[in-house]
Parts: sequence; structure tokens; C-alpha cells
Amino acid sequence: MNHENRIFSWKGIPRSSRIIIITTMIIVVLITPNLAEGYYESSWEQVEKRSENNYNSAIIDENGDAWVFGDNGEIIFGDKIEQWMNFESPTNENLVTAYANNERIVAAGNNGVVIYKEYNSEEWVEIKMETQIDINSISMNSNDEIFVVSDNGAIWCFKQDNWIEIESLVSEKLNDIVFEGERGLISGSSGLILGSENNGENWEIRDTPNEVASSDIISIDFYGINRGYAITSSGEILKSTQEELTTTVGYNWYLKEIESENQSTSLDINLTSLEVLSTTKILLSGDNGYIALSKDGGNIVTPQLLSIEGDFSINDIAMKNAFVGIIVGDNGTILYTENGGEDSAVGFEIIDLSDFSEFVDFTKDNLLEGLKATVKIVIFGILLGFFIGIALAMCKTAPTTLKQMIEGDLERTLTLFWIIIPSTLFCTRIYGSGLGILSLSGLIILFSLLNYYINKNKIEKEGFLGISIPNRHRNNLIRILGLTLLIGMPLIGKWEIKGGIELIYTAISEFYNFHLGSNTFKLSAQIAYIFAPIGNPSEFMRLILGVGLTYLGLLFLTTNGTFSKKKIPYGKLVLISILWVIILTEIFVDSDSSGDKITSWFDLGWRLFLVLIGLLVTKRILPKEIKSVLKNSNDYTLTIEPWKIRPLQTIATLYTDFFRNTPLLVQFMFIHFGLQLGKHIQNIGLDLTSDLIAISSLLGPLDSLLHPIIDYISGSLFGPGKRSYLSAIFALGLNSAAYQCETIRGAIAAIPSGQMEAGRSIGLTYMGTMRLIILPQAIRICIPPLGNEMVNLVLNSSLASVIAYTELTRQGKLVVAITFQIFWTWGMVMIAYFVVTWSLALLLRRLEEKTRIPGLGISGGN
Amino acid sequence: MEEIVLDIENLEKIYPGGVHAVRGISFNVKKGESVAIIGSSGSGKSTVLRCINRLIEPTKGTIKLNNQIINNPMADVNDIRSKIGMVFQSFELFSHLTVLDNITLGLRHVRGMKKEEAEKSALKVLERVDMLDRTKAFPGNLSGGQKQRVAIARALAMHPDVILFDEPTSALDPELIGSVLQTIRSLADEGMTMVIVTHEINFARDVADRIIYMDKGVIAEQGPSEIIESPKSERLKQFLSSMNEEK
Repeated sequence: MNHENRIFSWKGIPRSSRIIIITTMIIVVLITPNLAEGYYESSWEQVEKRSENNYNSAIIDENGDAWVFGDNGEIIFGDKIEQWMNFESPTNENLVTAYANNERIVAAGNNGVVIYKEYNSEEWVEIKMETQIDINSISMNSNDEIFVVSDNGAIWCFKQDNWIEIESLVSEKLNDIVFEGERGLISGSSGLILGSENNGENWEIRDTPNEVASSDIISIDFYGINRGYAITSSGEILKSTQEELTTTVGYNWYLKEIESENQSTSLDINLTSLEVLSTTKILLSGDNGYIALSKDGGNIVTPQLLSIEGDFSINDIAMKNAFVGIIVGDNGTILYTENGGEDSAVGFEIIDLSDFSEFVDFTKDNLLEGLKATVKIVIFGILLGFFIGIALAMCKTAPTTLKQMIEGDLERTLTLFWIIIPSTLFCTRIYGSGLGILSLSGLIILFSLLNYYINKNKIEKEGFLGISIPNRHRNNLIRILGLTLLIGMPLIGKWEIKGGIELIYTAISEFYNFHLGSNTFKLSAQIAYIFAPIGNPSEFMRLILGVGLTYLGLLFLTTNGTFSKKKIPYGKLVLISILWVIILTEIFVDSDSSGDKITSWFDLGWRLFLVLIGLLVTKRILPKEIKSVLKNSNDYTLTIEPWKIRPLQTIATLYTDFFRNTPLLVQFMFIHFGLQLGKHIQNIGLDLTSDLIAISSLLGPLDSLLHPIIDYISGSLFGPGKRSYLSAIFALGLNSAAYQCETIRGAIAAIPSGQMEAGRSIGLTYMGTMRLIILPQAIRICIPPLGNEMVNLVLNSSLASVIAYTELTRQGKLVVAITFQIFWTWGMVMIAYFVVTWSLALLLRRLEEKTRIPGLGISGGN
Repeated sequence: MEEIVLDIENLEKIYPGGVHAVRGISFNVKKGESVAIIGSSGSGKSTVLRCINRLIEPTKGTIKLNNQIINNPMADVNDIRSKIGMVFQSFELFSHLTVLDNITLGLRHVRGMKKEEAEKSALKVLERVDMLDRTKAFPGNLSGGQKQRVAIARALAMHPDVILFDEPTSALDPELIGSVLQTIRSLADEGMTMVIVTHEINFARDVADRIIYMDKGVIAEQGPSEIIESPKSERLKQFLSSMNEEK
């Protein structure tokens, strides 16, 4: 084929540019945002301005009418929050705070002005305080007594028509007071929170986190009897919950780590007001027109859009219920919402959902979003699966046996066990796992490079790293290695490395402590122990490691230098004895301690079945002539070939067996909810991001260019709400890897063995032959089955909907929930899947044709 | 004294299943010499060949290439193999690569040559085996004889000290054998050191300076190519007559 004559030739592009193009394409897909901001519009509508006064406080009373209080005593009344009018005010002092209960509405402001209005009265009445303090907040307790708080720790109560000052024990500025029944809370500067349990008669100082000791707690609010929230002017959110059954809310305050701010504790916004809408839903306002909503108690705080521009401060939020409410701010700003202040998606009303064209118009954006989300996890799932799959397939076909590791490469093996692994462990213990893994890979690369340069161009290799162990020492060194694997390196403190025996012992005793088996020796009663790994996963990993180490340790320790078969005298007899002990215990030991009665036909059958199995296995293991067995003890000898084990294959087999023998749906849920893999990866990613940003800030002028890019990529990969995205990619990828591994392994096995010989005979290394000769041919063979697997992966991606990843299927569910058009919705979802899968299949068919090797395959006319 | 390229001493191979394929044989190959190993199937001749470039690890004995022992576990097996060319019975060309790429593969990835340099070098050896006109073809589209000549070129390109031929013609149709034999013969004339395992008695007699007859894992008779005309041992006589009957 002549590439030069084409308009566009992929092969004409230099290899490096091709890699850049593909990488760029992948990154673009990776970071494409799922939802454009244009889909949302603010739910806040501005109410026509009535003055340029700053409005400081707002309240919605029992009748559902709004009251707004501002500078110069301005009072605005919003009849049912619809008809707005100015209300005659008895004062011209600035009003800064208000409160309403089912009897009356109260407001207060500067110079000790306090006004109130009964519901059945049409006029505001002033009850001025003699001391002209500036009131910061007003509230009423369950006895309808009015409380106000002011600077210098002043608390005043209006009871029986008299103002009484209540001892507060503090001198800080008090910002906010709130009652929930008899329980009251006051917040103040220097991180102060006061609490009262007796309608405000006595106040005591409540513990607050040290981090807010210098912050001004600007607002505090209850929700019912089990949640309390407070905010500081520096943007922190404090939360109080009912702890266990004894401590009520308002005693324990802790600082919220805000997930959407990279676990920072501050929003970096000068907050002004807080409104708690439900146990976990809170609205926050701040300077510069900041209004934000959190639906999960402050984990994710999402700033909401405002319909007006400007640098005005929002001073107060008043909500009638969780949906209808107002916010008030400087320069006469009043904004009204019917959607709980939450940005609403555009175009969700006035459509006729029984008209198909309008239905499609309405849902296509959702479905396209879902499709995009599906394609994203599919692409990364496939890539992840393919690379892990190839690595696993190589591990499975790797010919490296224990014998080769020890006989041919003892130097390398000793370096691994005595230098690389201990150094890695120490690095991990001292500097944490990140540096530990880094040092592991670093050391391996370092040693390989050193070895490569030392042995370059030498016919006779000088062992590993130029060190060659003389033959007479080899066996002893192997035995010492075996000993270290068994007993570890018993140094002191964090320098200690446990050996196989200790690992097994601690793990077994740990598991035994679960007491999962009934008090019997019956094997079937111990069945609950199959769940022990979940009870202590890290101990289970140590058990597996321990078993492996003990096996290797015993083998190395007992080596005689021949690496051949091992004969265990009377081994077969021991095996059969163990088998029969288990079978007989099973049959004759009864867990009900009611003797060994046979209680049912099933019971009888089960016992007979066990005996039959026992007999069959015995016959299989023992030599045929039972008489000769009695004479010749050699026939009991068990012969095993322990050196034939291929460690890499064993590890890969464990992996594929696990993933192929559990349902994908369960894997999804275990990985996302159980392991919280998405969360961990997100945290690692965020750590990495902050490191990168720190590095980029050192680069001077480049920083302004790099910083936004890093922020954007990090946000689209590890940002809030990306956990299920990450989990979905990994669940799909890890599962697919197990299947792709088997496919690729099969293809590798289909390549004639002579190809490997031919590759090796011209001097290529094993990996070189694999990479240049075997894999290129194997991948071509397995394109059809891999295509099958990829199509499967697309279809399996619908399971990601169970972990709340909004891909196509989940969007379908949402659309059904809104529109109730089941047939149309699922039909459209199905077509969308078909389009994706079918184009993938076509692409693969084309790829298969393109990569076909000329002269190979079935041919021969029609 | 002539330089000895390959020196095999007391070579023995017992396969894991217990088959005693080679029972202690010794011979050497001098520089520029071509040695043919003949013998019936199962006589161990292919095993000997594969032991030489360590595709099979010998059980006992030493193999020296240019006076260096190559069959100890610590020797760099890849480097050794790159100095010993091998031509297989079933060609074993890399079917996904063109003829040219088949030959440059080793030069580029083992010898570390640049692409252009390797191609130049490859074209030279392709000329020697008379395959210059099919450099862009894929092995699947070549005839058996062409394939084997490309395989020979692939081995030659590495400039090996010795080339091992493992029954180079037994997978070929009789009319295709000629060109391959012609190529090997011209290599012999050019002074290439070669060890050839073959069934072609006449070819062995024509090309080889020395013939080794193996039977049941031992060398039953060896000597100059004339031993085919006048075999001394009874076993070789029988073998030769059975070969003639087949023809």
C-alpha cells in the first residue's frame, strides 16, 4: 500500500506524534465534564426593589408572610411572599435581627430598640431597653420570653414586662441566639458557644474545637432535637449531633471537613447567615452574593447561581419550608425561591410527555449525558482491563519456575529477599506507603540497570551485579534464605520482619478468636470460617503470605542442591489417614450431642456419600495391588515436584479465579461501598494534586498556566462526586482484566512453540520475544474474542448504576421516575446501547481486517 | 592448528520423562568446516543441535564456543545465541513481519542497529540467498523454499560464528529443495562454519567436510564425507540402505 498518495495517512505521522495524539485524545475524553453548567439556572428571583437600604434580617411568620427588616427602621411585609409592601415602622434605628413564634414576631436593632407585633394586631409596638446597647440577635424561648444578645457578653431577657440582664460569665461579643423548646444556644466571637437547658435562665460554656478559638461564630441553628449547625465568619462549618443516647445536641461540636473543598475546614468565604432546612440540608450565605447549598450536612457545599450580578452581601436567609423562602441583602436586595434555593435544571416544565417528539426532546439530553458517562467508564475500563490482562497473561505463561529462580538466578533472588524487600518495608514504616512503593520500584529499576551495564557485552555473565556466588556456598545460602523466610528477620522494633511461621500463627489465632465454629470437631460445623477473611482482611493477606513464605522456606531449608522431585516417605499414608479422620469425624461426631443417630434418609445418604468419596480417593492415591503395598513401604512414598511451581502464574491464577468466580454486581458494590476504592483513589489523587500545585508554584510565571490545568484535570478526575466514577472504572477494569487475561493467554498458547525458539535463537530475551514476536501475533488472534469481551464490558457497565454512577441505565431510571414513560425510555436506552456496542463491533471488525497477516488464515475460494 | 569454533565434550541429555536421548558424545567443529549429523529419527541428533544453543539444557557435559564454556547457568544465554545462528525445519519465520523486518528484527533489537543501517545489512544477506525481489512480502505468501532461504538469511544477518541447520529441507517439496541446498552449498564454499542435521544423504556428502552418524544417542561412526560411500560400521550400512530403499 502506498501511503504517500493518500490525503491522510495515519502511518505517515511519526510514531511519537501518534502517541501524543492518542494520549491527548484519551485525556480529553477523561476530563470532559459530565454536565455543562448551562443546564442549570438560578432558582432565586429578585423581588422589585423598594429602597436602597441594607436589609439585615428576614423572617417568615406562622401565616407564611415574610418580614424584612433593614436600616433606618425599614420594615417590608410580603403577603404570602407574593405581595410586597412597606409597613409602618415605630422606629428609625437600624433593625438587624428578627424572630417569630406562633404568638408574635419580634425584631431588634441598634441602641436597644426592640419591637414586636402580635398576629392579631396590625401595629408594631416598641419595647425600648433603657440601656442603649446594640442588639445582635433576638429570640424567644418556649415561655414566650424575649431574649436579646449583644456585645461584651450581654444577655437580656424581657419577662413580665421588665428587662433583666442574665449572667453570661463571658465578655465576648455574642452574635446569635436560638431556642429549640427549652434548649437554647448562643454563639459568639473567639469560638464561643453558650448553651442553656432551662429556657435561658442559666448559660454555660460549651466545648468547641480548638481550630475555631479565634473565629467569630456568626450564626447558629438547630434542626429539631438531633442536629445543630453553626458557621464562622471565616467560612467554617461546625456541626453538633446527638451523641449516643445520653448527650443531647449542642454539647459536642466538631469542625466539618468539607469534602468539596479538598477536605479543608473552611470555605474561604466570609459567611453571614445559616439556615437549616432539614437534618442534613443547609443553606449558607456570605459576602459578594454568595449563596450555597449542602444536602449532606456540609460534606459537599455547592455554591448556587444568583440571578443578579453585584458585590452585595447577603445578610439573612428566611425559609418558610424546605422549598419556599427569601434571602435579603445590601442595597434593598430581596430574592425569592420556590426550589429550596437550589439551582434548577432548565426546561423541566410545560411539556407534553405523551407526545413522542417532545418526550425525545425532553429526555435526549439526559440520555446523551448517560451515554457519555457510559462511554467514559467503558473506555477506561477496557484500557485498564487490557493492560492488566496482558500483564496477567504474561505472568500465567511465564516459564520462570522456582528452580530457575534459585538455581540460575540465586544472586538476583537473594538481592530481592535480603535487600529490596527489607528496604521497602523500612521505607514504608518510616515514610509511609507512598514512598515505600516508590523505593521498591526505584530499587528494582536501579538494580536492573546496574546489572545490565555490568554484564553488557559479556559472554559469561558474572552472576548478578558482577557478584557470582561460588558453587560450594550456594546450597548453604539457599538454606539460610529458607530459614529467613520461615522465621523472618527478628531485629528490634520497626526493623523486625516477621517470618512465615509467625504470620500463620498470628493469623490463625486471630481467626480462632472469632469463634465462628460450633463447639465440635465436625468439619461441616466450621463452615462459617469461610467468612473469616472479611472479619480481618489484612490478617488474611498475612495468612496467604505466611503460607507462601512457609512453603518456600521449608523447601529452601531442605534443599540438597538437585532441585528435583521430592520423596516423602509414607506421605500417601498420611494423606489418606487425614482424609479418613475427617470423614469419620463427620459421620460419627454429632454437634447436637444426641449421639450418632441417623435421623433421616438424607443423613444416611450424606454419610454413605462421604464414605464412597473416601473410598474412591483412597483407590486413586494408593497403588493398585493392596497386598504389595503391605510388603513394600516404598509404595506409600508421596512424590511431589515442589520446584516446578511458577510463582507468577500462581499469583495471576489467584487473581483471575477470584474475579471470574464472583458476580460483577457484587464486585461493584464491594469495591465501591465496601472497599471504598473510589474514595481512596480520590484521596490519593487529591494528595498528588496538592503536591503538583506546590511544585508548579515554584515555577514562577509557568504557574499561572499550569495551575488552572492541574486544577481542571484534578477536578474532573478526583473532584467531588467522582468517587463512583473512579470505582466504576476500577470495578469494570479489574473484572474485565480477569477475562481478557484468559483470552490473551489462549492466544499466546496458540502461537507455535517454534516462534519462541526462533526468537530466542537470534538472541532476543524472553520478554523481547514476547513483545516483538509472540504478542503481536497473539493479539491479532484474539481480536475477535477480545471484541466479544469489550462488547460485554459495555453491557456490563450498566451495573455501575447500582453505585450511583449516572450512566445510561441510571439516567433511564431517572427519566422513568420523572416521566413514567417506561416503554419509550427503556427503548431509547436500548437503542443507545446498541449504537455504542455496534459501532464498537464494527470498529473491531475493521481492526481485524487491518491487522490480518497476509497469507495466513483460512482461504480457498467459495 | 586450525581454530576450533565449537567443542562438545561428553554431552548427555536425559529428558524429564526419563528418555536418555544423548548418551555422552564428543566432537568439535573447526572454523570454516561444515559438519553433517545424520541418523535415523530418535537418534538424538536434533537434541544435540538444540543443546548447542541452549534451547535445551544438557544434563551433563560441556559445550565450548570459541573456547568459552557456554552451558553454565550463569552464562549470558542471549548473547551466546546471537553468536549461533539457527535454521529450523519448519522455518519459524515471524509471520506478522515482512521478509525485510524478519531479518532486521535481530539486528535492531539484539545488535542495537539503527533502522536504516539494519536494512542495508539485511539487503546484503537477502542478496546472498537470492531473495532481493521479495523483501516486502509476508512469509505467508512465500513458497517453502523461499521461506527457508529467508530463514537462512535471518540467521546469516547476525554474523554468527556458526550456523546450526535443523533438517532444513525435510519440510520442503522435492522440487523446492534444490534452491535451499544450493544456498547452503554456496555458504559452505564461502567458508561458513556449519552444523547440519539432515536426512539428505547426498547433500550431506556434497556439502559436509565431515559426517557424524548418530545412533541411539551415541556417535556410531564419523569421518570425512567418503564414509557414506564406504561405511565401516554395520549400523551405518543398514541406515544407508534403508534410506536408499525409501528413494
